[in-house]
Amino acid sequence: MIFFATLAILAGVLVSLSRQINGRLALSTSAMESSFWNHLVGLVFITCVALAVGGLFAGEPAQAPWWAYLGGPVGVVFIAAGSWLIARIGAAQTALMIIAGQMISGVVLDIVMGAPGNLWARALGVALILAGMWVAQGRKV
Amino acid sequence: MSQSELSNHPLHFAAAFGTGGLLSFMVLFNGTLAAYGSLFFASWVPHLTGSVAALLFLLFLRPKRAQVVRPPLWVYLGGVSGAVTVMLTSATLNSALALSGTIALGLAGQMVFSLFADMRGLFGLPQRMPVRRDFVALALIIAGSLILIFFGSST
Repeated sequence: MIFFATLAILAGVLVSLSRQINGRLALSTSAMESSFWNHLVGLVFITCVALAVGGLFAGEPAQAPWWAYLGGPVGVVFIAAGSWLIARIGAAQTALMIIAGQMISGVVLDIVMGAPGNLWARALGVALILAGMWVAQGRKV
Repeated sequence: MSQSELSNHPLHFAAAFGTGGLLSFMVLFNGTLAAYGSLFFASWVPHLTGSVAALLFLLFLRPKRAQVVRPPLWVYLGGVSGAVTVMLTSATLNSALALSGTIALGLAGQMVFSLFADMRGLFGLPQRMPVRRDFVALALIIAGSLILIFFGSST
């Protein structure tokens, strides 16, 4: 359990590390070029690991709905935006606002798609996040 | 770099918030791919289509290079870190941590390392010392997120 907990924490550290390295690349080049290298280098890396481990095309990927294949272009904008923002509002603020956006849009998506959930927990969670964003925004540089 | 290069422009905060919204769609799209194919496939496809999309963006937008000198080679390795993240979370998702625990601990790791990086100005990014207001905001947003993760059935 402690082993998996360590892996989960490490995964979060790597999310931040990746954004910092991409942000540094964007400082030398541009946010979009940084996003391009992030995807290309990641692609080469995953291809190598998948070839070594096998099972890349396991299951029935051809059965997936067409819109499930749209994650790539969305990710390009996501990585470019993160690389651009981190040099402007810092790593912690970037991470915090992205988390806030993901959580609140997640609630909206859940409601739109009719996923079951506790109304009061959702309302309290969203209220706390909005309050936190309001506090963060009031900081003097 | 000095602290003065950082801003607290409301537009930047709004942009970061909207960027988080993109993440929800990525989780939905890539998660659906993973439901039909392997976890490798669900990460390999967006990296492949993303590389092509980014190349097209570069060709059409032709963004100006910030510096003429080539940066050190390690700055091109951000994609490896991102790809390893997917592999780590695919391991923890199938453990007792499940989705909620994986996300919650991931948020903790992400925030602690981000604060550390800001304090040190790691990797040549602007240095920024967190103040009390930052920790209040952090506590509120993380508390709200944990409530959504564990009680709101939100991902």
